Amino acid sequence: MDNVENFISLHNTKISKLIKKKKRFYFDVKNDDVREIADYLFNKIGCRLSTATAQETYNGIEVLYHFSHDESGQYFCPRVVITDKKNPEMNSITPIVKGAEWIEREMYDLWGINFVGHPRLELLLTKDNPAGIKQPLRFRRES
Amino acid sequence: MSKNIIPVGPFHPLLEEAEYFTLKVDGEKVIGIDLDIGWMHRGHEFISETKTFTQSIYLVERICGICSTSHPLACVHAIEDIDNIEIPIRARYIRTLIGELERIHSHLLWIGLAGHFIGYDTLWMWAWKYREPVLQMFEIISGNRNHYGMMRVGGVAKDVDPSSIPKLNNILDDIAIKMDMIAKAANDDPVLRSRLVGVGVLSHEDAVRFCAVGPTSRASGIPADVRKDDPGDAYDLVEFNTIVLKNGDVYDKLVVRVLETLESIKIVRQCLDKLKNINGPILNNVKEISPGEGIGRYEAPRGEVFHYIRSDGSNRPVRHKVRAPSYVNIPTFEASCIGIPIADALITLAAVDPCYCCTERSIKIVDSSRQPTRIDLLKISRDKTDYLRRQINGN
Repeated sequence: MDNVENFISLHNTKISKLIKKKKRFYFDVKNDDVREIADYLFNKIGCRLSTATAQETYNGIEVLYHFSHDESGQYFCPRVVITDKKNPEMNSITPIVKGAEWIEREMYDLWGINFVGHPRLELLLTKDNPAGIKQPLRFRRES
Repeated sequence: MSKNIIPVGPFHPLLEEAEYFTLKVDGEKVIGIDLDIGWMHRGHEFISETKTFTQSIYLVERICGICSTSHPLACVHAIEDIDNIEIPIRARYIRTLIGELERIHSHLLWIGLAGHFIGYDTLWMWAWKYREPVLQMFEIISGNRNHYGMMRVGGVAKDVDPSSIPKLNNILDDIAIKMDMIAKAANDDPVLRSRLVGVGVLSHEDAVRFCAVGPTSRASGIPADVRKDDPGDAYDLVEFNTIVLKNGDVYDKLVVRVLETLESIKIVRQCLDKLKNINGPILNNVKEISPGEGIGRYEAPRGEVFHYIRSDGSNRPVRHKVRAPSYVNIPTFEASCIGIPIADALITLAAVDPCYCCTERSIKIVDSSRQPTRIDLLKISRDKTDYLRRQINGN
């Protein structure tokens, strides 16, 4: 059984909307389960966090983490969809994966996502531009 | 002893990307570091969403002036990943050739700068002198010394002229001889060893924790290399070794880069040999990109470059995420800089090879009485090498 099949059999109640491609595996997880999934990927099977991608869609704000399993070249991409666009909030995985600290700060900065449990949730990129547009990559910008 | 704060940056000669470091020092020792980026946030991700796929490739080529083919290569990999687009075999070799030549010139640039920072100006002048023929090879292949404009979805833009291959081989032979000389000098020199061994150690655990990539992680014993793990282009068709060392100090980072350059020369030689014999198209005609999402990555000289592209079936990306290797390597300073003397901080900060620029430095010490005094970090670093050199030579 390869990594992906093993992962699905262990977490089949917690993941949905699976998209399997060659060496790429995208799936949805709930906000409450994201830390458990990150813990499994990072600590149990030794994945490395490449980065995370946030995007605003009409359904909500998506946060897609990219975990790379370097031994097999496989990507695991858990996706969390935050439906509350006014006060977007989700659990931070930085307490588990130190490498997520900057990218979560960046998403807080550019999309306004509040990462609960992040040790240092400060603006990363636009800190020294107080007069500029807040959360510049959101659909409706606040001036 | 009073604790002082040394601000380095934001427009520091070491750091092209204009990061800002606040070094907290207790006497000579660094006891804390705070990192601040965002000074050159240029909004590439947003701009890319307003461009067509082909225009995006040119846009991301301008992100970095040194590894200017890594971003376009990762970008085309991401677009090709959406539809599993096949690449002609000749184009695969040309992509690998360009990528590896870039690794040679980027590593030579770093080796030169590292030599300069520790007062080894001979190494600096050698390395930069021998980097020049690599740029000439680029000029012969693509017409440009930098920003080659070679990458396209489905292949490459320009073919390599078969009549130029003997000339390219001759230049490569010269570079190989000089690289062997630099590798031998780095291995033999007692001053270089005593100056860099044990300096700025990034342990294996910290490299895993910070998700470090490229030579920074390989010098700490992590055998991760995108060229082996997820081989695109011709990397599964050429033979080369992944260089992995264990100590995680600046010396190992230097040795990893020197040995990787020798491996790159091996790969370039294999590519040129194949390009003599393999003929055929260099570009598959890709008319449209389906809706979907794709991940592209490439092992840039500094580590894994990551691109994520989502398409809605139109001619432009709806989301284009870019992550350069320095973004994950720079936070490792929190682990590698603590507890070392200021004289070693400069080379430790430079050891992950954050993008450089060549402007003049400006560093101030703010002491407890708030009277700023200027110090030259470069001078402190070079003085330490001089001191070691005198000790080793016995005078």
